[in-house]
Amino acid sequence: MKFLRSLLAKYMLIVVTAIFLTQIVFVIYALIMFGADSIISPEDSLNPNVIEEKWNDEASKIQNVSEETIQKHFKKWMQQYPAASMFWVDGNGNLRTQFDVKEELPLKWTATSTAHFIKERYGGDPFTVIAFVGKDKSQGFIVFEIPRNQLKPPDGQKYGSVLLSLTIGMILLFILASFLFFKGIRKRLLNLQKAMEVRDVNGLPIQVDVKKNDEIGQLEQTFNQMVFELRESKQREQEEEQLRRELIANLSHDLRTPLTKIRAQTYFIAKEELSQEGNQAIKSMEDSIDHIDRLIENLMSYTLLMASKYKFEPKEIDVVRFVKESIASWYSLFEKEGFEIDVELHPFEKNKWMIDPLWMGRILDNLFQNVLRHAKSGRYIGVKTESTKEYDAFVISDRGKGMKNGSNEKGAGIGLSIVDMMVKGMELDWDMKSSEQGTIIKIKRYKVGRSEKTF
Amino acid sequence: MVHILYIEDEKDIGKWVTQNLKEKGYQVKWMQSGEGIDQYISTVDIVILDVMLPGLDGFSIGKRIKRENKDLPILMLSARTAVEDKLEGLSFADDYLTKPFHPDELAARIEVLLRRFNKNDNILQLQHLTIHTKDLQIVNQETGEEIQLTGKQYYLFQYFLRHLNQILTKEQLYEGVWGEPYIEGDKTLMVHIRYLREKIEKDPANPTIIETIRGIGYRVKK
Repeated sequence: MKFLRSLLAKYMLIVVTAIFLTQIVFVIYALIMFGADSIISPEDSLNPNVIEEKWNDEASKIQNVSEETIQKHFKKWMQQYPAASMFWVDGNGNLRTQFDVKEELPLKWTATSTAHFIKERYGGDPFTVIAFVGKDKSQGFIVFEIPRNQLKPPDGQKYGSVLLSLTIGMILLFILASFLFFKGIRKRLLNLQKAMEVRDVNGLPIQVDVKKNDEIGQLEQTFNQMVFELRESKQREQEEEQLRRELIANLSHDLRTPLTKIRAQTYFIAKEELSQEGNQAIKSMEDSIDHIDRLIENLMSYTLLMASKYKFEPKEIDVVRFVKESIASWYSLFEKEGFEIDVELHPFEKNKWMIDPLWMGRILDNLFQNVLRHAKSGRYIGVKTESTKEYDAFVISDRGKGMKNGSNEKGAGIGLSIVDMMVKGMELDWDMKSSEQGTIIKIKRYKVGRSEKTF
Repeated sequence: MVHILYIEDEKDIGKWVTQNLKEKGYQVKWMQSGEGIDQYISTVDIVILDVMLPGLDGFSIGKRIKRENKDLPILMLSARTAVEDKLEGLSFADDYLTKPFHPDELAARIEVLLRRFNKNDNILQLQHLTIHTKDLQIVNQETGEEIQLTGKQYYLFQYFLRHLNQILTKEQLYEGVWGEPYIEGDKTLMVHIRYLREKIEKDPANPTIIETIRGIGYRVKK
């Protein structure tokens, strides 16, 4: 059943039909050719075979052979065939009566001249019939001549052209059938291709309608199956992502709540009369709470970033203004710690950068936080712009003891890893020079981007 | 006295915050869930809301309060720190503070919100100036004279007072007061700040009330 519905079967059917029909044409032709004589109707007066039979028949029936009877016979034929010519040679070989004969005929017919005449006319033009007169052959013979163009073409020739046109017709029919067949396939394949390119809001392909159960139909079914699986896996992925986000959000929440409680407890302890050491311990506890808080935040971000699940929504942003507002929000913290704050932000050639403001904010927060915690000894933070031929950059510098000798507080590492991932995620670059005199960090945007190839 | 409605289900944290805020001179009504808050809503000046609560969550409670009381500031106080949570919170709330927080920061943010919503008619003492924040009446204590500010100066000074202690960039000030995008090089703002300083500063050449923060902008500090 399946095979019968296939395209292969259909095309095989076309081919077999074509071969079969051609064969039938040949068989019919053969039948016509061989059975032609029996099929001919006796009334067909222009058929050479009919003429020959009739001429012979009538000649043999002539009685009292004389000039008169022959002429009468000739006249009767003349009426039916005005284009014909006729003559009579008698038993002694003398040319006797002739009707409309155009050529010179010998007056005396010998065996040689008769044979010559017969040989000359056999199968030629005019069509010639020779018949003996009367019952015995001593009365001589009468000859009937008619130009062949006055006759009907012979049957074979007529059916031959029919056969030729039929054969050509068959071939054309076969070509047309094949053309239509393949055109249909092509159209369906093109439609399928178009349908495969359509995407829904989620960027996934859409299922197509399966109309036939042939090979293309099976292809469509397979495609639909694929679309189904794709949707399923996308949904699974979304669910997993949702789960992961939930997990991280809940974990973060569950860690922060006890941390807040610890802070609450330290508050109540601090209300008691405490020794200087006790107060110191409380202060250090509070610092640790802040530190753990930041570590949790960074750890969560890092996990999300590593799994490429951190939302990235770049926008065109006036970056100089953005950095200015960011340092403004940190200003009082630095001021409180007695930092010298040196801000020199000049507009770049192109102030609009394609960045995610949340990411950029996070980068700056991490860097400022690091300065505040790890470079306190330098009491200096510089936030400046720098423009060279190759890049525009923000330069954040401090006068701390450097990353290696660094501060007694650890934990800058994960913050910088996040900076690194986020900077690179926004197709920016950064570098860091750290020495005992301080640390200089540059966030750069190349003017001819490395990603944009120069041609 | 400023009334605060505080909703927090964690007993330790609730007790701590309540006590701390009371010490700072606020009147605090602490509740452990959103049930029965309606009777207090009309009498309070600010709502502090936790997110993870038994029953209705903080987001839903906050949205309902905000829908019915547009002028009531809401501060979300949550251990949920994901950006999505903050964005959802800030879609209706006026501030979002994450745990663990410092009680001083909470108090500072409450003050900012109260100022923004003109909830407290504080008399603000800025050096030699006494300012009634609600109607922005400014009196020079030394001369006893009231200082009159013209239209833009008034709005500019009001903008500074609303963002007390905050550094404001030229762009923020211009857009906040004039309501138009700032164009680099525009001198309008600087001219107005000069006029304002001439009126309120003791020595306009060495301003101390409106500080210039080099490279960033200006600040009025308490």
